[in-house]
Amino acid sequence: MAILTTREVKGVGFTIPRPDGADKVTGHTRYVADLNPPGLLHAKLLRSPHAHARIVRIDTSLAKALPGVRAVLTAADIPELHPNAKTRAHAIMAIDRVVFAGQPVAAVAADELAIAQEALDLIGVEYELLPVAVDALQSMQPGAPPVADAGTEADTSEALAHSGVAATESQDDSKAVNVAQQTRLSRGDVAAGFAESDVVIEHTYRIPMVHQGYIETHSVLAEWDSAGGLTIWTSTQGSFNTRSEVADVLGLPETRIKVVPMECGGGFGAKIRALCEPIAALLARATRRPVRYVMTRREELAAGMPAPRVVMRVKSGVKRDGTLMAIEAETILDSGAFAGAVLTLNGIFLASLYRWPSFEVRGVEVLTHKPSIAAYRAPTAPHTVFAIDSQMDRLARALGLDPAEYRLRHLIDEGDPMANGQPWQKNGARACLERMIEHPLWTGRAEWAASGGRDGRGLRGTGLAVGGWIPGIQPCSATIKLNPDGTLNVVTGQVDIAGTNVGLAQIAATAYGVDFEQVSIVTADTDSAPLAGLSAGSKVTYTMGAAVMAAARDAREQTFKIAADDLEAAPEDLEIVDGRVVVRGVPERSLSLADIGKKTNAFMSNVPPVLGVGSLGFSQQAPAFAAQLARIEVDPDTGLVVLHDFVAVQDVGKAINPLGIEGQMQGGAVQSLGIALTEELQFDDDGRLMNPSLLDYRKLTAADVPDIETIMVEVPAPAGPFGARGVGEPPIVPAPAAVANAIEDATGVRITELPLTPERVALALLARPSEDGLSA
Amino acid sequence: MPRMILACTVNDEPVEALIQPYQTLLDVLRDTIGLTGTKEGCGTGDCGACTVHLDGQPVCSCLVLAMQARGRAVRTIEGLAEGDALHPLQDAFVRFGAAQCGFCIPGVLMSAAALLAENPSPTEEEIRYGIAGNLCRCTGYTKMVDAISEVAGAAGGKA
Ligand code: FES
Ligand code: FES
Repeated sequence: MAILTTREVKGVGFTIPRPDGADKVTGHTRYVADLNPPGLLHAKLLRSPHAHARIVRIDTSLAKALPGVRAVLTAADIPELHPNAKTRAHAIMAIDRVVFAGQPVAAVAADELAIAQEALDLIGVEYELLPVAVDALQSMQPGAPPVADAGTEADTSEALAHSGVAATESQDDSKAVNVAQQTRLSRGDVAAGFAESDVVIEHTYRIPMVHQGYIETHSVLAEWDSAGGLTIWTSTQGSFNTRSEVADVLGLPETRIKVVPMECGGGFGAKIRALCEPIAALLARATRRPVRYVMTRREELAAGMPAPRVVMRVKSGVKRDGTLMAIEAETILDSGAFAGAVLTLNGIFLASLYRWPSFEVRGVEVLTHKPSIAAYRAPTAPHTVFAIDSQMDRLARALGLDPAEYRLRHLIDEGDPMANGQPWQKNGARACLERMIEHPLWTGRAEWAASGGRDGRGLRGTGLAVGGWIPGIQPCSATIKLNPDGTLNVVTGQVDIAGTNVGLAQIAATAYGVDFEQVSIVTADTDSAPLAGLSAGSKVTYTMGAAVMAAARDAREQTFKIAADDLEAAPEDLEIVDGRVVVRGVPERSLSLADIGKKTNAFMSNVPPVLGVGSLGFSQQAPAFAAQLARIEVDPDTGLVVLHDFVAVQDVGKAINPLGIEGQMQGGAVQSLGIALTEELQFDDDGRLMNPSLLDYRKLTAADVPDIETIMVEVPAPAGPFGARGVGEPPIVPAPAAVANAIEDATGVRITELPLTPERVALALLARPSEDGLSA
Repeated sequence: MPRMILACTVNDEPVEALIQPYQTLLDVLRDTIGLTGTKEGCGTGDCGACTVHLDGQPVCSCLVLAMQARGRAVRTIEGLAEGDALHPLQDAFVRFGAAQCGFCIPGVLMSAAALLAENPSPTEEEIRYGIAGNLCRCTGYTKMVDAISEVAGAAGGKA
């Protein structure tokens, strides 16, 4: 759609530092844990040390008697609790059975944190241990110890939040005891496809549970007023979603709850669900005091909402000339103790990122006695692309073909059918790969490989991978008002977790016709803001950007209408130049935006205020892709993989604010590299987390990674504001595959299990020459 | 336990506080003195979000008992700027877009300031090791390293 500005304003496309930067570098930005209202109480939760146990009795009398303790709650004190909790948020506290180690069994509010901690030690809980199902393969067998209560259904609301892509088939029959969800996507004659294949490769890929790793742990502060209204200050990715969930869990009307979204110190998908809000609200109700609950890092790792463990067996067959014939795959997704995985997109990317003429992919979501999962930035896409991209790399090598050219030959394009029958929308998958193939680090890969393995150097290799995501959509609304001084205020309820507010201000500036400095933007609470969706699924700029754009154009029209009367001109003949509405071609006939703003606010004036409204629903999703390249060196003795260079190419549709997008691309790439190289939640046979600290759960540091080079390509999204697409999720997708491909390039060894730790790489090198999985 | 009096300077101002002997410097800064710019990301010395300077040296304030600061000089993120002007590192972090969610940023800046005080012209590798004790989950570190490099280049020879 054409934009009516007649001159270039400082808006869309400009590199602009975030306006909240100064507060962030001076320590002035306020997060939940920084709030300290009078009368504040501190909460602590007693968590089960056992992964599966019956609660025989809980004795809180000693804890209640401790001076400074204001409330001790167990399930018996919470009438809102129901067996068969719909979601993890509804399972505020274990009722009579704990289903993962770390599940809350009691809660304390006290004057000081140290007193609350002491009170936990005084609570006596008698458990009767039950057999555990820790591994998904065992848990899905008949007769396995049950995780959910009978009748618990899969919760797909989170999956829908991330992507509205529907499966063509969802199987509900034949549910084994801990099977929460099954999907199957198929097309064509797979058996015939394999029979006609010259080369068939089959591998099983394993990716452990990983944690989203935000540095601010889950934090919430709750307080009730004397009229029964509840206010929640929280670190959330969606204040309206939090309000709805808390209302549902506590059985309150939404109007009685006000959610104030505080600065979110990282979410990445884990701060969608109301994990801590309900218990904080209940403690605040019991004590009639403000109650703050901040999870410890240990609690985060042991009882947060990590990404699922995923096991994928993938078999693919091709002709000697490289023609794709058939793919068959089975995915087992371990969701921990509550269901809610995005299973369909796993099948879609396995079966239809490349043009397989026949496929059959099945997926199973299995419950185990482990912490339940949540989204993690493009949920399971890094896992899926690790499998399918590794397969493509292996096939190309087996056929003696250039691995990048081979991908490009078979990668989807606009209009190709997805595995669910819907067509792929316009996207930049091919553009990203084409751009990457030209990069000197790719064209120079032979020299890099040849320089390794001598003069004391390790083995050197280069790998690339391509992957992406189908970002979500959700209705949303925004308002924009013209102030008496001619500036503009945008109000939304959209939590800014990724620097999106500056981009929204840029969109408003360009759509209205002023420089971005004239626009301020505020994220208001749920009482004051128009409805907004989650800040998740790479959709803030795509959806809220469009709403802000609509609001700004509405405001511009209203402004012109007011000016037209005054200037005795038709609105169509007006334009905005340097903060003035001008009759086109007659510069002396003009009115400043401040004059117009003042007219709308003057005592006895009859000019209505300018209030632009944008309120939109969406139906079209815009796939978003990235290609990444890793240039590495492997120490053949220790197995250590050193990253020398890393390049990220991404289709952003239209770069609204390149600076912010670079930050997304770089941050996502390093998270992706963490999945590739170091991160793993390790559980013992009893279902207890063995590495509940950031010393043992290893995230990458500045010393572990090189500069992340960023290259943007722009394939406009037809329905995106100014052509923009979602940018948050794609950058976390390709790196695990890219690094595994680079390791094979360097060493000849293919590793199909993450993370690619020194031990795993060294052991794989020892086992060389490996079973290569080739047949025919 | 009987409370104790902690006397020290925080950001060049003398401070006296009545505290529990088991309280960490982090908790006293945040809860007793009200300087909430210093963050807690782990409480166990693994993330660096709580980094402050104790007599000029960077420390994880979650691992320091507040009483260990008795008679010493504490500097926090609130005391990094001189007067109204941002510290050059703060200014560079803003311009480079090095802060995303911002939660790690006070700690990263305190580590970077300590690094430059000791080594005004660090190489990129020295910068990366200098902030390796600070975990950031949002940025991938590239823009932070670039921002620190620019300040180091302006202060001394470009590495
Ligand atoms: S809070 Fe001190 S190192 Fe993490
Ligand atoms: S900016 Fe979010 S953790 Fe560093």
